[in-house]
Amino acid sequence: MTFVVKGQKDRHRVVFKRRAMASLGARGASSSASNLVDSALHGNTRLQPSSAEASAQAGDEVVDSIFRPPIFPTMSARTARASMVPDLFTSLPPIRDLLNTQSSQIQEETIQECLPFLSGLEPGATYNDHGVPHLERNRHIQFLHKSLKKLPAPYVAADASRPWMFYWALAGLSTLGEDISQYREPLISTVRPIQNATGGFGGGNGQMSHLAPTYGIVLALAIVGGEEALDLIDRRAMWKWLAALKQPDGGFQVCVGGEEDIRGAYCAAVIITLLDLPVELPRDSPAWSGEGATLLTGLAEWVRRCQTFEGGFSGLPDAEAHGAYAFCALACLCILGDPHVMIPKYIDVPRLISWLSARQYAPEAGFSGRTNKLVDGCYSHWVGGCWPILEACLDGPSRILAVGASPRAATHSVGSLYSREGLIRYILCCCQDRTKRGGLRDKPSHSSDSYHTCYVLAGLSSAQHKWHFNTAETKTEMGGNLASPYQWTCEPFDGEVQIYNEEDRVGTLHPVFVIPEGAAEQTRAYFASKGGF
Amino acid sequence: MGKYEGDPEWDDVVPIPQDDGEGALAQIAYTDEYAEAMGYLRAVMAAKEHSERVLDLTEHIISMNAAHYTVWLYRASTIFALNADVEQELSWVNDVALDNQKNYQIWHHRQLLVDHLYPSISSDPNAIRKFAESEVDFMTQMFDEDAKNYHVWSYRQYLVRKLNLFTEAELKSIETLLRIDVRNNSAWSHRFYVVFSDPKYSTPGSHATEYDPKIPDEIIDREIEFSKAATFEAPQNQSPWNYLRGVLRKGGRKLSSQECFAGEFVKIPENGEEDIRSSHALDFLADVWAEEGKVEKADEALRLLGDKYDRIRKNYWDWRRGTLKEEGITKGLAKVELAH
Ligand SMILES: [Zn+2]
Repeated sequence: MTFVVKGQKDRHRVVFKRRAMASLGARGASSSASNLVDSALHGNTRLQPSSAEASAQAGDEVVDSIFRPPIFPTMSARTARASMVPDLFTSLPPIRDLLNTQSSQIQEETIQECLPFLSGLEPGATYNDHGVPHLERNRHIQFLHKSLKKLPAPYVAADASRPWMFYWALAGLSTLGEDISQYREPLISTVRPIQNATGGFGGGNGQMSHLAPTYGIVLALAIVGGEEALDLIDRRAMWKWLAALKQPDGGFQVCVGGEEDIRGAYCAAVIITLLDLPVELPRDSPAWSGEGATLLTGLAEWVRRCQTFEGGFSGLPDAEAHGAYAFCALACLCILGDPHVMIPKYIDVPRLISWLSARQYAPEAGFSGRTNKLVDGCYSHWVGGCWPILEACLDGPSRILAVGASPRAATHSVGSLYSREGLIRYILCCCQDRTKRGGLRDKPSHSSDSYHTCYVLAGLSSAQHKWHFNTAETKTEMGGNLASPYQWTCEPFDGEVQIYNEEDRVGTLHPVFVIPEGAAEQTRAYFASKGGF
Repeated sequence: MGKYEGDPEWDDVVPIPQDDGEGALAQIAYTDEYAEAMGYLRAVMAAKEHSERVLDLTEHIISMNAAHYTVWLYRASTIFALNADVEQELSWVNDVALDNQKNYQIWHHRQLLVDHLYPSISSDPNAIRKFAESEVDFMTQMFDEDAKNYHVWSYRQYLVRKLNLFTEAELKSIETLLRIDVRNNSAWSHRFYVVFSDPKYSTPGSHATEYDPKIPDEIIDREIEFSKAATFEAPQNQSPWNYLRGVLRKGGRKLSSQECFAGEFVKIPENGEEDIRSSHALDFLADVWAEEGKVEKADEALRLLGDKYDRIRKNYWDWRRGTLKEEGITKGLAKVELAH
């Protein structure tokens, strides 16, 4: 097929040809050492060495069963179960193009992979009246405990991102209601040798400081809490180091001499506010200016530069819109100020909402990270976690009239902008490894890992709750710089039919810091009470 | 005995063991080979040694763990300190990248190398062209494995900026990828960058979501036609629809200028069943009709999306219906005020 593209100047022809695509076969399910963790944010999608443990093999069997012809239950049982599930989640999309390309082919394969799970046809599973299986709470708890034990040699690929694992496990365990105080002492002795005298934490002992592991460690310490844990952080050195990362264009490098991206912007903002650091810059900062530039100067403008023509956010200006970066952008703005003020001021809200909303597909019902990419459990948080922030932005602030009183719901709440039911179905039906191994995953053909376990649970939590941003009548409680993120409260979401059992409700995670509700407030209050370094 | 311990060349170095802390969490059971090499790396880093043998050592560690940013950064500083051959380093990095598709650090390393190399070729257009070609060839190999690799595409944007590759050849190369898979959104995204950030005509610093009055009309027309041609291939492909909206915004044009085009995929008769071949066309038309003040038509389009063609997003479509009414009320009020 040939189309001639018209235009006075720069005329050229565009030819699109139909092509048969080679089968992608085992690509999605493959797992090799070279695929192990590397990026800091979306690191270890395939962290589990397949032969390392017997439980891992048990997990692989489940994966295999999806690709083998499944042994379906008898017809009557099948229709009975399927009838509990709305047809939106059991049938193909109403409009599909004939043109076959690699993107459409793997999309088709993914739908086929998910359908049996969504339709209540997973062999051996039990379902509630809505065709939804239970949360395998204990198995996921065991999985996360195990992720903090000694790890076999193939995990060497995670040697520079190991601090993430502390955070993923502790955040995940807390969300599941597990007491994590047993980890306070070991965490303290684990992270102490990872801190550098020049400020910040590296991926391990002797490694350069980097914002991603520093973020992970600061959050992990905030989760376990306590004086000893928090006092371990050298705040003065941290401040000096952040100043060295701050760039004249407003953004942050992730490590000295490293790349400048939106993860850096978000991680730096989290650290500055939680540790209540001063924002003034020392003279040796690359961003120092005679005009009083601070750690925050130009940061919101830099974030804005990452909004793309599609409406989503890229990791750095001019790249492609990607779910993980949308969360980093929104959360960063909500540290710099109130959501209903900052978000409309710096970004095109209708385009962002349109793009975010388009991340949810049916029948899979979970979120994808980019246009024409596949659903993946971790976007339950990266995309899912954008909704509470945007809903609060559109609702405007609730007001706390008296200390201790519950916030008055905004009079014109926008309600939910996405399908909470869809996301919860994808999580409980497709993301759980319900074998003895436990843990949560990208999609049924992938192994569970602690990264996905943490962020899938975070997504489940935000789908089960409704967050409010409150403006107190007087803002005396939390003064100082960057006080906005401490004004969030939440309640169980009750706006629609609840498709999961009440016992499967998980704990609440702060919409900006993604740690258990209360932990950020306590951390900030502790450092604020110290005054100065 | 370890590789380095038994090597006379490393006699003078006392390795520094890793301090993991007591009862460390998620401690990794390193192989002896990795643990030893890292011990020597900590020692040379502490001594700030930049030498040939540091290049060998870092290469060895990267072969065991390519996701080690500290090792990459130290290697880069060593290469620059030694004034080592950057092109040779680039070709070695190619092999590492092909073996480590998802790796982040390699691409930053590559940028550092190019930043270092650039001054030596910047005055020679031929050298730049040759270098650009070989880089594009390499990226094409990477795209054979994964045409949406985020790191490779980000590097590509960097390279376009650095070498000023806002060229016909760059557009052609994107078209080749779109011909293979018209749903490759990364390629669409890159095209938007190359077209609308071209310093020959764009406003410096213009945001991706805002009108740029300096973009020539013929460029806007050409890009509109480009996205339309692709849409006819697969009308339910969202990429060219997003692209079209982006182009219209850049050109400061109304969505309603493309009402006829979007209407090709949407037939809503007065009576009888509608024929919708693209939910994105319906979404587009809803905005067109809202823009034209045809609130009822827009509302019906959004209702169809929520009830029939894109039900998973029903809450979103309903919210849009709500804003439509709010806008209607605001406009109504404005009229009332004018009347007074
Ligand atoms: Zn994922």
